[in-house]
Amino acid sequence: MTSSIQLPADFAELQPYAHWALDTETARNHHRLECSVTDIEAFAGAMMAWLDEILGRLNQFPLDAIPDEWRPLYWMVLSLAEVAPVVEFYHDARVPDGYDTRRFVADESFPLRPRV
Amino acid sequence: MVGTRGIRLQQLGLDANLEGNRRNADISWLIVLSTIENGRDDAKSHLMHDRYAELGRGPLPIEPYISPTYYELEKRHIFKRVWQHVGREAEIPNPGDYFVADLPASDASLIVIRDRDGKINAMHNVCSHRFNKLVYDERGSAGRRLNCKFHGWSYQLDGRLVGVPDEQYFEDFDRGQYGLARAHADVWQGFIFVNVDPAPAVSLADFMRPFYAGLEGYPFDRMTNCYRWQTVVNCNWKLALDAFQETYHVRYVHGRSIADALRTDDNGSMLPIDLLCGDFHRRLSMAGNPKTVYGNPKALTDGNGAAKQAGTSRAGKIAPAALKAGRGATKLHFDSAELPPAINWLKDPDWVFDINVIFPEFYVSTRPNYYQAYNFRPIAHNRTLFDSRVYYPEMKNAGGRFYQEYMKCVLRDVLLEDLGTLEQIQAGCESGPRTHMVLQDYELAVRHNAFVVDRMIREGEERREAESRRKGSPSAR
Repeated sequence: MTSSIQLPADFAELQPYAHWALDTETARNHHRLECSVTDIEAFAGAMMAWLDEILGRLNQFPLDAIPDEWRPLYWMVLSLAEVAPVVEFYHDARVPDGYDTRRFVADESFPLRPRV
Repeated sequence: MVGTRGIRLQQLGLDANLEGNRRNADISWLIVLSTIENGRDDAKSHLMHDRYAELGRGPLPIEPYISPTYYELEKRHIFKRVWQHVGREAEIPNPGDYFVADLPASDASLIVIRDRDGKINAMHNVCSHRFNKLVYDERGSAGRRLNCKFHGWSYQLDGRLVGVPDEQYFEDFDRGQYGLARAHADVWQGFIFVNVDPAPAVSLADFMRPFYAGLEGYPFDRMTNCYRWQTVVNCNWKLALDAFQETYHVRYVHGRSIADALRTDDNGSMLPIDLLCGDFHRRLSMAGNPKTVYGNPKALTDGNGAAKQAGTSRAGKIAPAALKAGRGATKLHFDSAELPPAINWLKDPDWVFDINVIFPEFYVSTRPNYYQAYNFRPIAHNRTLFDSRVYYPEMKNAGGRFYQEYMKCVLRDVLLEDLGTLEQIQAGCESGPRTHMVLQDYELAVRHNAFVVDRMIREGEERREAESRRKGSPSAR
């Protein structure tokens, strides 16, 4: 999978995973369903290797003022959280024996939901 | 001896004694706490069913979970009479802000709106003229007025009719008679409740405080980051709720995910610390496994030991990384001393959360650093809207949000595990190989819910019969 999103130069090694830079929970969750467990584990492994570095940079900004060029990395961090249950619990992109996640609809416009 | 059995409330029955209830409201929580304190050892040595003998012990009939007739009785005697949670005050901070609460079991769709005095109103979303919907969107701002799109009738935010085009062509017309039809609305701890009964048997305070006064002061209003998911599940509302008020299923349904986050006894059983059944509501208290991120509430906020201990039980590396990222990133710092007395009422050192079921179908799980709020809103006898929310504190930075997103995604997937069973169970009940379900001791909350629902229907039917006898008897004429 490729993405037109360009990550900051220092994080070019993560560029093959830029397709995980998705700005909503729904998009991240549905993307997880499209990926194989192998793809997901590769993404999680790469992110874990860079996580301290990424958060060190992102944490310099207030949450509501992350500059546009850094936002894709922020979304990729949230995607790491999205795939954590795949890697740690299920070893399957879906929840085994679970309810269809596409029927369990996140209210992305709920007024008390964090803006970022 | 534990529980609220000494506090009999007739609040929704025939002879509502509101004065008595108010007195009880002031003292009841103290009574509960002291009876627990006195009876602690005694309670542990007995089955929970022994403490609530009035609930019975035999198998439960499944008819109430599959019968359209029983559902009609629930609508009449419960959902058209009780207070129901519809959302948080903070969702509608400004005058004119509204959301629509659809309550199919109450045959109502309500506009919940803040007026210019800051007060919250609930009104039927039906124009008083020829019954068009006033608002079409699920939520928004009405500005200064609610305007009907059919013939332009215009209402103030509190429902008063203030504009009628061509008013002179209505004969003998009195605007005062045609405000929006109202439901009752009130707020407890920032939660908005509505009641469609024209004359509710009890106030919201009298409904909540006898059992839940001890929960007041929990920092609900400081958990401002809310995530919400909704789905319509093809099952009875009680079956859906039941899946969330017992721990027997955890080892199996959640065996791949968070089962190890709860404490087990020497036999591997996951007993709750305690369970309290009131006249309507019920509470369960849970112990966690401090070696897990999910089961150790002190992990994020407690300086040293807890964080090191948490995350040691599984091979996963993301959980500890999320925990590390979240340390110090929350804008709130919680200390167990800040929590009100009803939280972790037996003060168990491994306590992880309390489940509070507010009758009939509102579930609030209170934890030291976040809470969940679920409604199991009936749509039909075999259809339920599961409206689920989790509220966390605001985070300072990306690391904090990573931790929060981790906790949220785990929770969502765990909910999918729970939801996965429900439609199959409904089908199993409807296919009819058995007429009753058997319950073990710590599934008592399932029994309590069925018991209270059935009691309210029975009392309601008795009231109706008495009413029709009174009307039909010669002396009443």
